Amino acid sequence: MAVIDRPRRGHRRGRWSALLLGGLLSLMAARLPADDVVGPLGAVGSDTLAGLMLSWGELLTERHPGVRLQLQASGSASAPAALAAGTTRLGPMSRSMNEFEREAFIERHGYPPVELEIARDALAVIVHRHNPLASLSRRELDAIFSESRRCGGERSIERWSQLGVTLPGDRIVLHGRNVASGTHDLFRLRALCGGSYRVDLNEHPGSAAVVAAVAAEPSAIGFAGLNHLTAGVKAVTRRDAAGEAASPTPQAVRRGDYSLSRSLYLYLNLPPGGALPGPEHAFLELVFSPLGQTVVEEQGFVVLTEERLAEQREWLDSLPPVE
Amino acid sequence: MKDPRPPLSLRLRRRRVRDRLATLLITAGGVGVVVSVLAIGVFLALEVVPLFLGADALSPRELWGPQPVEGYAEPQHRWRPEPLIEGDTTHFGMAPLVWGTLKAALWALLFAVPLALGAAIHSALYMPRRLRTRLKPTLELMEALPGVVIGFVAGILLAPWVERHLAGSLALLVALPLGMVAAGGLRALLPMPLRVRLSPGWAGLWLMPWLVLVGVATLWLAPAIEAALFGGDLRGWLADTLDLDYAARNAMVVGLAMGFAVIPGIYALAEDALAGVPGSLGEGAQALGATRWQTLWKVLLPAAAPGIFSAIMIGAGRAAGETMIVLMASGNTALMSINPLEGLRSLSATIAIELPEAAVGGTHYRLLFLAALVLFAFTFLVNTLAEGVRTRLRRRYRRLEGGT
Repeated sequence: MAVIDRPRRGHRRGRWSALLLGGLLSLMAARLPADDVVGPLGAVGSDTLAGLMLSWGELLTERHPGVRLQLQASGSASAPAALAAGTTRLGPMSRSMNEFEREAFIERHGYPPVELEIARDALAVIVHRHNPLASLSRRELDAIFSESRRCGGERSIERWSQLGVTLPGDRIVLHGRNVASGTHDLFRLRALCGGSYRVDLNEHPGSAAVVAAVAAEPSAIGFAGLNHLTAGVKAVTRRDAAGEAASPTPQAVRRGDYSLSRSLYLYLNLPPGGALPGPEHAFLELVFSPLGQTVVEEQGFVVLTEERLAEQREWLDSLPPVE
Repeated sequence: MKDPRPPLSLRLRRRRVRDRLATLLITAGGVGVVVSVLAIGVFLALEVVPLFLGADALSPRELWGPQPVEGYAEPQHRWRPEPLIEGDTTHFGMAPLVWGTLKAALWALLFAVPLALGAAIHSALYMPRRLRTRLKPTLELMEALPGVVIGFVAGILLAPWVERHLAGSLALLVALPLGMVAAGGLRALLPMPLRVRLSPGWAGLWLMPWLVLVGVATLWLAPAIEAALFGGDLRGWLADTLDLDYAARNAMVVGLAMGFAVIPGIYALAEDALAGVPGSLGEGAQALGATRWQTLWKVLLPAAAPGIFSAIMIGAGRAAGETMIVLMASGNTALMSINPLEGLRSLSATIAIELPEAAVGGTHYRLLFLAALVLFAFTFLVNTLAEGVRTRLRRRYRRLEGGT
C-alpha cells in the first residue's frame, strides 16, 4: 500500500510546490518597480572624491536597483585620460582640467567637456599631534616643501630648529601625494606658487595614506584633504602678512577666503544638445538635491552656495529628456 | 585465424605519422611561447622608437645625464615628465629610477642571499629528512604571500617601528648573526651528554629560543648602547658625523621586505643545486679526513656554485621587477644617493603610479614604455643567463656521476 500511495502523494506535493514557486516569483516581479533607470554608471577619477561618489552611488542604487556602479579612483589625472579615451562618461576631479587635458578631449571628441561643480573642499597642512607648531606663513610653507622657493623665501627650511621647534628628529620629513593626484597639483599651484616639490617628498597614493604616515612620524609634515584628518594629526593654520591666522572653517572655505580651498568638479562627456542616459541623469539629480548635499557635509566637505546649486539645477533641467 | 588488424607496414606508417604530428605540435607550442615573450619585447621597442625620432626627439643625455634645475647651481637628475602649467620645464631623467631599482634589488639580495643560502646548505646537507619535509611547505607559504600584503605591512608597521627603534634595529642586524656563531662556539664548550642532545641537524629547532633570547636582550640593551656610544641620539649622530639623513621609508626597510619575498625562490633553487651534487663527492672528502666545514667550503659549494649563482640571479630578476612592495614601502622619492637610509623610486613603481594618467601616445606614455623595456631587457637577460648556467651544471653532474 505504501508503495502505491507514495507516488500519488509525490504528485500532489509536486503540484503544490510548483504553485507556491510561481506565486513567489510573481510577487518578486511585482516588487520590482517598472524602472527605466537601469544600466551601468561608471566614473573614473579622483581619490579625494572616492567616498563621496560611493555614498551617492549607494543612495542611487537604493532607489533604482537596476543601476550598476563602476567606480574607479586612482587620482584626478586619470579622469581626463579616461574621458578623452571614451572609457567613461563621468570624471570626478579635485582640481579643474588644465589646457593640455582640455585640448586632448576636444581633439578626440570635437566638443569641450561639461564642467560641474559639486562641492567645496580645503587642503590642510598637517603635523603630528605632539608637534608644537601652530602656524606657518606662505614663505615658510614654500621653503619647506619646494626646491624652487618661488613665493619668495631666501633659504630652504630643512630642520625643525629653523622654525624654532624642538622635536626628537630634527630633520623635517615631507609627505604628500603623487603626480596622479589633483591634491598634488593644487598644493603646487597655491602653496608653492607654481614651483616644484623637493625631491625627497614621500609620495602616497591617497590622502588617507598621507595622514597615516604623518600620524606615525613625529617629525613629519604633510598636506591632505580636510575630510581625511584623524586624531593622530593636527592642522596648521596659515599666517598671512598681518600675522593673522586663517583656518579652514566651512564659511571661509565656501567664500574662498582660505587660500588652500578648492572646488571639486565632475566632468561630463556630453555632446552639445545631447541627452544624458537614465542612470547619469538620476545621479546628477541626486547630487544637486538637498539629500545629496547632506551627504557632502557628512563626508567632511563643504556644500556649495545656494546660488551655485540653483544654477546647476537649472542647467540639468534644461537638458533634453532621457529617451 | 586471420589477423583482423591491418598489415604491419601500414601500422608502422601510421604510428610514425602520429609521432611526427605529436612532435610538431609540442615543438609549435614551445616555439609559440618563446615567440610571444619576444613579441612583448618587440611591442615595447616599437612604442619606444618614436621617442628618438622626429622634431622633439630626446637625446640620451636628457634621459641619463643631469640637467639644469631651477633653484640649484649645479645640474641635477630629475624625473618630472608632466608639465602642469604653461611654461613648466619637464625633466626626463631616468637615471634616478634605474638607480632606485638597482638599490632596492641590491639591499633585498643582501638580506635574502645569506639567509636563503644558509637555509639551503643546512637543509640539503645536514638536516634530517623529517625536519626538511616540514621546512619546505613553510617556505612555500612565504612565497604565496602577496607582494601587496608584504608592502603594506612594511610601510605601515615595519617602517615606523624601525624609525622609533633605530638603534635597536641596527643592533639586531649585527647581534643575530653574531649570536648564531656564538651558539656554535658555546655548544662546543658544553658537557658531552648535552652536546649530543643538541645535534647540528636539529639546530633549526634549538637555535630558535636562543635567537629570541639574543634578540630580546639586544632590544633591551639598545637604549643603553645608544646613550653610551652616540650620546643618546643615533639619528643626530648619523646626520652630523656621517652626513646620512634618515627617512622612515628607506632602502633598508624595502630591502628587508623584498628580501622576505625573494628568500623562498633562492632557497628552492639553491637547495636543488646542493641536493644534486653527487653524494660520493662529499663522502669521499670526509673519508679522506676533511672536516664538515672543509667539505662544505672546498668541495660541495664549488661543485654547486653554478646552481647557486643561477639561484641568486633569478632572485635578482624577481627583486628588480617587484612592484607593490617598493610602491608601498619606499616613499617613491626619486633620489640618487648611496645612503641606504634614504628613500628610492623604482622603474616598476613609476609605471604603476603614472601609466593611468599619461595621455596615450604622448612623450610621458612612451617614456613609461621605455622604463618597461629596460625592466624587460634586464629580467630577460638575467633569467636567460641563469637558465644557461643551470643547463651546463646539469650536464656537468651527469658527467661526474658517469665517471664514478
